[in-house]
This record gives sequence, structure tokens and C-alpha cells, in this order.
Amino acid sequence: MRIIAATNFFATALLSNLLVPAGNLAWAEGFMDDAELSGLFESELAWGRGDVQKAEFVLTPELGVALNDGLQLTIIARFRGDLTDELEPGVPEQRNRSESSRHLFIGDHVDVELREVFIDFEVGDTFLRLGKQQVVWGQADGLKVLDVLNPQSFREFILDDFDDSRIPLWTANAEIPVGDAMLQLLWIPDKTYDDIPQADALFAFTSPLVVPQAPPGLSLGMPITQSKLQRPNAFFRDSDVAASLSAFVGGWDLSLNYAYHYFDRPVIRREISSQGIAVHADYERTHLLGGTFSNVFDDFTLRGEVGYSSDRYFLTDAIGDSDGVVQSGEFSYVLGLDYQGWRDWFVSGQIFQSVMDDHERGVVRNRVDSTATLLLRGDFMNEAVQAEALLIHSLSQDDGVLQGSVSYEWRSNIRFKLGVDIFYGDAQGLFGQFQKSDRVSISAEVGF
Amino acid sequence: MNTPATPAETFFKLVTDWPKTVLLLSLMCIVGLGSFMPQLHKDTSSGAFIADDDPVVVYRDHVRDMFGLEDPIVVAVINDGPQGVFNPDSLKLVDSLTREIGKLANVDPDGVTSLATESNIVGTYDGMDVTDFFEPFPSSQARADEIRAAIDAFPLYQGSLVARDGNATLVVVELLDQDIAQATYDEIMAVVAATAVPEGNQVHVAGEGAIAGYLATYIDRDAKRLNPLAAIIITLVLFVAFRTLVGSVLPNIIVIGTVTAAFGSMAAFGVSFYVITNGLATILIGIAVADSIHIMSQVYEEQAGDPTLSATRQGRSLIAQRALVKMWKPITLTTVTTVAGFAGLYLGAAMPPMKFFGLFAAIGVAAAWFYSILILPAALTLFPLKPSKLFQKGIVTDRYGAGLQRLGGAVLARPGLILAVAAVITMVGIAGTSRVIVQESQIESFQPVEPIYIADKEINRRMDGTYFLDIVIETDEPEALFRPDHLRRIEKLQRYVEEIPAVRGSTSVVDYIKQMHKAVNENQEAYYAIPDDETLIAQLFLLYSASGDPDDFEEEIDTDYSQANVRFNLHVADYQLLTEIVPQVQAYVDNEFNQEDIRAHMSGRVMVNYTWLKTIGDNHVRSLLLSLLFVWIAAAVVFRSMVAGVLSLIPVGMALLLVYAVMGFGGIWLGVGTSMFAAIAIGLGIDFAIHTLERMKELLGARSGSYDERLADLYPSTGRALFFNFAALGLGFVVLTTSEVPPLIKFGTLVAVAVSTAFLASMTILPAIGKLLRPAFLFPQGEIVTSDKRRITTATASVAVVLGVMSYLYVDTARADTALPTGNEIIAQLNARDDGQQVTRVLKMELIDRHGKARVRETLGYRRYYGDEKRTVLFYQSPSNVKGTGFLTYDYPQADTDDDQWLYLPALRKVRRISSSDRGDYFLGTDLTYEDIKKESRVAAEDYAFTTLGSTEVDGHLTYQVEGLPVDAETAQELGYSRVLWNIDPAIWMSRKTEMWDINGNPLKVVRSENIENIQNIWTALRLSAVNHKTGHSTVFTFSEVDYRTPVDDSMFEQRALRRGR
Repeated sequence: MRIIAATNFFATALLSNLLVPAGNLAWAEGFMDDAELSGLFESELAWGRGDVQKAEFVLTPELGVALNDGLQLTIIARFRGDLTDELEPGVPEQRNRSESSRHLFIGDHVDVELREVFIDFEVGDTFLRLGKQQVVWGQADGLKVLDVLNPQSFREFILDDFDDSRIPLWTANAEIPVGDAMLQLLWIPDKTYDDIPQADALFAFTSPLVVPQAPPGLSLGMPITQSKLQRPNAFFRDSDVAASLSAFVGGWDLSLNYAYHYFDRPVIRREISSQGIAVHADYERTHLLGGTFSNVFDDFTLRGEVGYSSDRYFLTDAIGDSDGVVQSGEFSYVLGLDYQGWRDWFVSGQIFQSVMDDHERGVVRNRVDSTATLLLRGDFMNEAVQAEALLIHSLSQDDGVLQGSVSYEWRSNIRFKLGVDIFYGDAQGLFGQFQKSDRVSISAEVGF
Repeated sequence: MNTPATPAETFFKLVTDWPKTVLLLSLMCIVGLGSFMPQLHKDTSSGAFIADDDPVVVYRDHVRDMFGLEDPIVVAVINDGPQGVFNPDSLKLVDSLTREIGKLANVDPDGVTSLATESNIVGTYDGMDVTDFFEPFPSSQARADEIRAAIDAFPLYQGSLVARDGNATLVVVELLDQDIAQATYDEIMAVVAATAVPEGNQVHVAGEGAIAGYLATYIDRDAKRLNPLAAIIITLVLFVAFRTLVGSVLPNIIVIGTVTAAFGSMAAFGVSFYVITNGLATILIGIAVADSIHIMSQVYEEQAGDPTLSATRQGRSLIAQRALVKMWKPITLTTVTTVAGFAGLYLGAAMPPMKFFGLFAAIGVAAAWFYSILILPAALTLFPLKPSKLFQKGIVTDRYGAGLQRLGGAVLARPGLILAVAAVITMVGIAGTSRVIVQESQIESFQPVEPIYIADKEINRRMDGTYFLDIVIETDEPEALFRPDHLRRIEKLQRYVEEIPAVRGSTSVVDYIKQMHKAVNENQEAYYAIPDDETLIAQLFLLYSASGDPDDFEEEIDTDYSQANVRFNLHVADYQLLTEIVPQVQAYVDNEFNQEDIRAHMSGRVMVNYTWLKTIGDNHVRSLLLSLLFVWIAAAVVFRSMVAGVLSLIPVGMALLLVYAVMGFGGIWLGVGTSMFAAIAIGLGIDFAIHTLERMKELLGARSGSYDERLADLYPSTGRALFFNFAALGLGFVVLTTSEVPPLIKFGTLVAVAVSTAFLASMTILPAIGKLLRPAFLFPQGEIVTSDKRRITTATASVAVVLGVMSYLYVDTARADTALPTGNEIIAQLNARDDGQQVTRVLKMELIDRHGKARVRETLGYRRYYGDEKRTVLFYQSPSNVKGTGFLTYDYPQADTDDDQWLYLPALRKVRRISSSDRGDYFLGTDLTYEDIKKESRVAAEDYAFTTLGSTEVDGHLTYQVEGLPVDAETAQELGYSRVLWNIDPAIWMSRKTEMWDINGNPLKVVRSENIENIQNIWTALRLSAVNHKTGHSTVFTFSEVDYRTPVDDSMFEQRALRRGR
């Protein structure tokens, strides 16, 4: 671990030490036409029930370098410090991340991550982006059907922006125009998967929907052994590949998507034997085929996303089940409707449903899992003040979260925000499990 | 018969008693004055038209001294082949022309500028190197290509020395003595003819120096040919009139006397012969002929009455006395009135040539009178006088006399009809007069087939222009022009003036500095800019002098770097254009310069031309009115009647009116040459009127019977004389219309028109008025009764009113069409304005709240038309909080098809499709709606009903106010407006100020388009400000780096561009 961390550190130091003089040299010889440094500095303070949940400072610098011959290099890093260290206590193992995608932890409170490093260039008509990047599919807000190429960090559950929680991966991304359409081909050799919070983290999962529970009656006295998380490691064979074809046809934004990928959350199998319960987590692969569509009708925007995953694994309580996991295909979709008919107001509603092919008795979730969302956003004072309220309600579990915020753009580059996040519902539910983690937050964001 | 002799009788007796003495003395006078004529100095420069102490001339001389700038002759080498002029043959031609022309006597050896003489400024490792373009000599295509590349990198020479398309290059020749430019032009033409011009190349010679010099000769050449022809024709007419030798020859002697008197005294006083002085000879000939015809007619009449008299000298002397006693009065009257008219011109004209025209015309007319009353009687006494067959029976009854008698009969029978017809013609005349415009373009004085005309057009088509406007920048301290802020001011001036369409390029020391700066920075384009450091600028000059000749800048900046000249090239410079350009540039100069430490002055050929043409326009009417006034006074004094004065002005007035009408309908400009026609018309026309009135008075007093009966003799005698007067002049000047020279053709036409009108008006209108209104002065005392007097006074008053109206209309010669176009027409023009097939631009948005606090966003935008569909994309670049946000629109031309819009939010990393039907929604927090942004200064014609309210001034520009009311409540709701008011400037077809009212009718916001510049031929508002009255919030859009030329790729308008951020 330390060696890896050290290697990473040295790599970063070496890289930066090389880049700076290289940059100067390149500048002097006219190699670089243009370099631009910008970034954001955010600080956020959140109070939970009687406790400070986080006191966080995040610096996200971005360097964009236009090399000659049309090459564009982008480097985005993130320096994050949390005074309270509730969200990721100590230094996590990062077993879910490939070596090249890990954070560098400096003490318990500070972590440094090279978020994105990529080069853009064109070969003929084909656009290529190579490097550590985020590739986002889908038309849904907040819920993911096709947005599964990049893993996510659940450090703050789903409370922070996806842009921050999504984990960039080393990817070869090619966009090839085909007639009026665009063909995108992806090869992701980076075997990094979701960051699941440790058991002692603030937003650690406890819901039976995601955490396998010991079958009733068997838990007491049984030793539970948990084996280390193993990631797939065959460089080529275990890479994810994906392709999508998108076009703007007849007023419709359409896309067709296919991915052959490892699902980012591990499947946790348990084996009950005389020695006890052995729990091990594996990543499983699946095909994903789906599409998106979007169009505008007067003041309404209709958008949708559908996907079918061939091999998904769902937790089951059935005692007879050997590994506590059921394999089944899953069909899911999101249908969203946005309304902009009222001046300065934006209303959006979505319905999300996931349907299991092979639902059996004992499977923890329903065959059909439904969630609805409602977003209300208002702009005031020439967009200087924005107020937003988002409700995500699980129709199946009857729990949900309500997020509200008011932000004020004090200067061109300074924005203040006041937010509130409230979880409600049964503690067994996906959202309800965080009932006790309601919070109020204030934050300031400064751009440079 | 033995009444005491009148003074006149005594005088003429004296003359005829001493004929030899009189003749001798007269001849001595003629010869004496004539001896001065060879000294007459021709001054054909247009600078002669301004007084030497006029500020414009003084300043221009100062500029000439300081910068050595003259009006050059320009020789162009043109090659339309694939390499243009950048091939060894063309360049060798340039070199040989440069050398040969440089050898000419009147050419300033340092003043020949061409590719062969100029130097390139090239950057080297340690500074700059100044080497001649032709070093080494371009004997190979490779060298020629190098020179092309060098010129491509040297913007200063593009358009001024070498055409921008590389197909032409100039040899600019400065002359030492501008006065002999004509001769130098001929020499240069000879050099060109002697040089072997390689195939594929053409050589043209033009330039202000050539035009000014050539014009005078061009006119003279033909005038010299045609004037004698006119003289011959006039003599023929005289012969037809009298059928005697004496009758044909004697008047010519008077003409000679008159002309020598005028021009001789001109030479004696050292006054130059100007371009317009050509017209003076005409008048003098005309008047001399007129006097002679009248006298000779009378002589032959007298002789016919007593045929035996002419056999003896005594008898002849008696005939002469009688004729002159009868005719001296009208002749004197006409002389007095004509002299009065020219005196008025002398007093009223502001320009020396015109003043002198008036003065010497008066002298000539007086001489004509003098010689007529002396030479004619003396000669008639001495020489045998054969009777004229035509006059045998008293009044002539040849076909001309008979014809006129019939005319007289018709006129006297229907005087009312005559006056009505005259009124109609007057109306037509007024209509034509209102179309006259003050305009001058010297090059248009040449026939289009003349080499110089072709050369001028070709050169001005290919190059930036051969008409120069100089703006001299003055500071007080030496080396003050090393200061970057001063230089930037100059650069800004250049950019501003270059935006004027007629101005295609400019040259100043700033261009050299930028080139030098680029050179010392390894020829990087980014360094083609004014350095920020004063010492650096000084060093650049120093570096230049190390390898180049510092005199290279002497036309742009003076030796102590405190004064600079900016020269602008115009490809056309007609007066009307200058009336628009000069005030505009002057306003800019007054605003931007003319502070304590830096001043700017306009100068150059263009300025000089503008000034003196402006004076012509302003002055023309004044001198004209003054002339008429003097004529009126003289006639009134002579006839001792105000009414007489008025009546005598009628033929003159009609002549003037019709001359202007011909100019107005015929598109003949009121310029330098044509400004004298009015004076000529007055001088010649007054004759006819005075003779007629005088004869009428005599007849009405001497005879008895009805009016018609008494006037019976008017037509055959005076009328006939007038007819031949008219014929002589008319035919004589019709000869000029056969000339090839446009100015002479116009001259001949207008004089012929003037003379014809005066004749006809005198013959018809005056007798008709006499019959209808019976003015007292015509009739013997007591004949006209009070009641008649009242009628006459009324009539006189109405004539005076008509004259007043005519005078007013002369002042108002260029009336503009003041009708306003309809709202739909204006909006259609607005929407038809070219806003570029594509555009790339940086947009800075400032959102300013009511307290003045501003939030700024910087964006990069692209727009392109796909047929009628418009695609626009906007990328946010700063601040970081919004960086990466992108907005894409497809704007479809059909009104019922909604636009497609996408918004990319970096936080979501997704492209959202957004609804566009709410075009009244505010765009991304600004005070401009989606519709405002989308339409970008156009207007959706189907949304409103338009009405033109009027015109008003916005920011110093005339604009049309158009009101738009939404066609229905639904549209009003959508747009958010119940009323919109545009102030549209028809010069650029853009609304400078737009006011909107909300759906409740309250003032909502005002949008202003400011900093409107012409960028790459497209009018662009670089600043848009919108103030929302209800919220107090305002938005300012500042556009910069606007580029209409660079093509924008299709891929920019796809969603992937949004995702990628560019």
C-alpha cells in the first residue's frame, strides 16, 4: 500500500517536476501555443444531527494546454481536505480502484486525486480523446440507466454532483462521424469500480437492499469471514468496451448504446458452511444494450433512456440459495418530462423503473422497482439567485430524499449556497437508511 | 430739322468728321492692348480657385513643405497572368520605367516610388535589415516569388504600391513644378511608348498631377480648333443677315478689339488665364457681334431710306451719324446693364478666377461699346458702303423678316396664351432646377475612351486609390510621436477612416513601426502591433537607420518626430461623396484629437477640392442674385422705371431657368466649369431684353394707333436683328457641341439654350406683357391711366413674386426627397442587411444590477448560415464557475417551426435539449430575451404591424422611427412586449435604439446598438446595451475579435462541440 502510494506520489512529483520545466522549454521554443490555468476553490460546511458532518475544502485546478498541430491537453486535479473526516475515515484501502486511479492520501484528512488527464486530437474526421476521462451516457437526471461506464464514489451517497462523485477512468474514446450520425467507440482498460464507503463512514450502506444480511437465525455465533475484494486484472480481457451511435434525426435526439462491461458494484456472495459464513465480493460482467431519445414539444421536453442488462445479480434472502445472489437480466428505463412554460421556472419530473427478468421469491427487491423524481428550480434577479428543490421518492420502498438549495452569485466568480438534505422513510430502504444523516450545509465557491 | 443738336448728334458728327484719326487711334488701342496678350499666363491648377490666403491652401503649402507631398503622376504596370506582376518581365518593366522617368527634367529624382526603389524591412537574428526589394535584381521567377512573399508580409505596401491581388503595381512620380504637369505627362507618355512592354502587361498613366495638367490642354486643344470654326460660322450668319462684305467683316474687327481689350488688360495686370476664362471669349464675341448687328442693321435701314446718300463720303457719314444716333442708346443701355451684371459677379464671387471673369468681362463689354461707337461710324464713313439688297425697301422683308412678322402677329393676337405657355415652361424649368446638384469629378471631364480616363478607372479599381486625403498629426514636443498612446490614437484614426467604403487604404508612420516591430521579433504576426515602450520605438528607428535610409519616412513623419502625416487612399473623390466624408472625418478628428498636446488637421488634394467646390456651391447663388440685382437696378435707372427693371429680367430669368433645367434633367453637374454658365446667360440674355424694350418704347411713343399697330415694326426690324444675333451666337456655340471634350459639349449646349431662350422670351413674353399689362414706362406720358397703373402695379408685384420664388428655388437647388419610406419597407431593408455568412467573435457579457455591481462572463461564439437556417453556438470561457457551459441553437427560417436548442452544463456533463418556444424568456440571466439574441438586430416581420412615425436623430445620426405592434395578443404574450419602437439608421440599416413596452404598456427596456463599425464590409454593433427599467438591471454585450472571413466548421454546430467545449 505504502509503496503504491509512494509510487503514486513520486510519479506525481516527477510528472509535475517534468511538466513545469518542460512547459517552460516548450514555451520558449514555441511548442505550446497556449496554456490556460483555471480552477475552482470550494469550501463546504455541513451540520448533521447535532454534529458537523463535514468541513471540507476542495481545490480543483484545471490546466488546458493547446499544443500545436491541434492537440489539446487537459489536466484536472483535486486537492481535498476534510477537517472532520467523517466521510472517509482514516485512509481507505481503495481496493476498488486500479493503481493508476487511486487517490493519494496525505494523513487522514487530505487526499489528492488526479481527476482527469487527457489529450484531444483529430485524425481526419475522427475525434480522439485518450486518457483519464469521464464518459457520460444517458438523458436522466440523478438516476442512472446508461450512465454506467464510469464508476461512482458513494462517499457522500448521492448528495454531491455527479461530476464530483463520478470516477474518471483511463479510456480510449473515439468519435467517428458516420453520415449525419456519430459513432462512439470506447475501450476502458481501467478496472476501477465504485467507491463504497467503509462500515464506519457516515454514509456507509446498511440497507438490506445493498448489504447482504445474514439469514435470520444463522447470524448468532457464526464467525463471518470476509475475503478481500478482488478486481479483475487481465489487462485486455477484462477491459470494458462500449459503443454508441447517436444522431439528431427529424427533431429527435436519438442514440443507441451497447456496452460489455463489469458492473461497478461488486456482487457479494455468501457461503454458509460449517465454518461459518464466508463472504466474498466479485465484480461481474454484463452486456448492456439500450438507447436514449429526446425531443421538444412546445414548452415540454420529453426525454427517455432505456437499457437492458443481460447479467445482473441480485441479493436474495432465500435460505436455499447457495450464494445469496440471483442472476437475472434487468430492463430499466427513465422517462422524464421538463416544463419551461413559466418564465424563470423550470419543472422536471421523472419516473424510473427497473424490471427483473427472473424474479424469485426471496429476492430482496421487488420485481419492479420504481422511483419518481420531481425538480423545481427558480431563477431570480437575472439568475443571480437560484432556488432548487429536488425530491427523489422510491415508490417501491416509500422512502426518499428531499434536497433543497438556494444559491447566490455574489460576484462573477463567487457563489454562495445554502442547502438542506432530508432523508425520510424506512431504515431498510435505500434512502431511509440515512435517516439520521439529514444535514444543512453552507458553501462558497470561488472560481479563478 | 434744325433743332439744337443733342450731345449724341454732336459726338457722332465729331467721329464721322475725323474718321481716320478715330480709326487710327482705335487701331493703336487694339494693337497696344493686344501686345500684352502673349504674356498671358495660363493657370489651370484647381488651387487657383482658392485665394492664396485661404487656410486650406496655406495649410496645404505647409504640408507640402514639411512632407514634400505633391499631386503625383501615377504609372501602373498591370499583369493579369497567374503570377500577376510578380514575374521577371513585369518587374524589369517597372525597373526600366522607374529609371527612365526619373531622368525627366520635371521629375524629382528622389520622388519616384516603385518596387524598384522601395525597401523591405526584414527581421534578423539581432534586429532588422532594410534591403531594397530589387536587391538582388529579380531576374528569375524565384526572386519574383520572394518579392511577392515579402510584400505579403508587408501590409504597408498592399493596396498602395502593389494591388492586393498582386496584379498591378505603381510607379509614383512626384513632380518638381506642378504648373508644367501637362508637359511632364506628355513626356511620361512618350517614355512609356518608347519602352518595350512585354506581352501580357499593360501600362497606364494617371494620377492627380496628370489629370489637372491634362484637363486644361484637353479643353484648350479642342477649343482652339472650334473657336475659329465658330468665328467662321458667325461670319457666315452675318453675311446671311446683310449680304454685304462690310456687314460681315466690320463686326469681326469689333470682336478682335473687344477680345484684345479684355485679354490684353488681363495680361497687363498679371492676372492668369484660368480654366473658366475660356468662357470669357465666348461672351465677348457674342456681345461684340450683337452690338455690331444692331448698328449695321440700322445703317442699312438708313441707307435704304435714302439710297443716294451712300455715294459720297458726306452722305455715308450722315448715314452713320443717323444710325448711331438712333442706336447708341440701346447699345449703351445694353452695355450698361451687362457691365452691371458682371460687376455683380465680381463683387459676389469668392474665388479669384470668377472675380476676374466678372471684371474682365465688364472691361471687354465696355471695350465693345467703345469700339462700336467709334470704329463703326469711322469705318463706314471712310469705306465704300454698298447697300444691302435686303434692306432696299426699308424694312427687310426677306424670309427671316417675314417669318418674324408672322410671329409678331401671332404673339400680339394672343398675348394671354403666350403668357400661359411661358408659365408652363417656367414650371418645367423650376422642376429641372430642383434636380441640379453640386458635383465635380475632374476625371469625368474626359471622354471614356481617353487613355487617361481608362487609366484612372483601371488604377483605382485595382489599387487602394489615387485620390489622397491627408491628415496631419501635430504635437508640440520633439519625439512626442514616440509615445505609444499617440501612436495608438493614430492607428485608431486609420481604422476609423478606413471603414468608409470609398477609403481603401492608408499609410502612416504607425504602419512602418508595426512592421519594424514585427521584424525584430522574428516576423511573428503577433508582433505586428505598436510596442508599449517608447524607448523601444525610438530604438526601432535607430535600427532602421543602421541599414536603411531614414529619409524613407520623410513623407510620413518629420525629422524631429513631432509631426506625422497619415495619407488615406480613396478610389473615387467626387464632390458629393466628399460632402459626406469630410464632415464625418472632421467630427471624428475634433472628438479624438484637438486636445492640448495632440492635434489633427485634414489636408491633401481631396480637402482642397472639397473646399473650393463647397465655395462654388455656397457662392453660386449669391453671385447670381447679386448680378441680377445689379442688372435690375441698371435697367430701372436706364428706363427710369422699376417695372422696366423687372421686365428686363424676364428673358434673362427664363434663360437662367432653362439653363438650370437642362442641367437638372440632363444630369449636368453644377461644378467648376458649369458655374459660369449663369453669368454668361445673364450677359448675353440681357441684350435681347433691353433692345426689345427700348424699341417697343420708341415705337409706342412715335407711332399712333392701337398697340398692335404701333408695334408692327418691332418684329421685322429689331426682331430681325435680334434673330441674327441669336443665330450668330446660337450656331456659333452649337459648333462646340461637336467637340469630343465633354466640358465643351456642355458649354456649347448651355450657351445655345441660354441664347435661344432669351431671344424667344424677348420676342414673345415682353410684347405680350406690354399689351396685357400696359406698363407705364413703355407708353408716352398720359396714356396709361391710374386704373391701369393699379393693374400694372399688381402685375409688377406678381412678376416680382415669381422672380422671388425663382430666386428661392435657386438657393434650394438640391432638394432631397423627403418622403419617408413605409414601416414595412424599412423593416424589409433592415432584415435584408448582410450580417455575414459566418462569424466568429468573442462576447463579453456584463450583468449589472441596479447598484452597479457587475457580473462578467466571457464567451466565444460562432454563427453560420446554412441556406436560410442559422446555427449559433456559444461557449462560456470564464469565470471558472461557468466555464464549459455551452449553448447551441438551430434557428429555422419558417416562422411556425420552433428552433432547436441545446444547453450543455459542465456539472451534468450532459447536453440537455431545451424548449425554445418561450422566446420572451431572458437569455441566461441577461436582459435580452432569447428572441433578441436570436434575431441579432433583425426583426421578425411576421410578428408585428409596422408604421413609420417619422425621423429623428440618435447619437448624431438620422434614423427612421418605426413602431411595431404585435399582431395579436398571443404574440404579444410570447414576446413580452405590447409595443416596440425602433430607431433605424438608413445608412447602415440597423436599429440604433430600440424601446420596448411590456404587455401592460409600461416602458420595459431600451436596447442600444453602439460602437457600430464597418468590419470586413459588414456593419457590426460592437456594443449592445440593454437597460430593464422595471428591475433596474442592465446588460452590456461587448463584441470583439469579430471575424467574418474565417470559415467556421460544420462540426462546431453539433452537440459534440458542446461536450468538448469548443
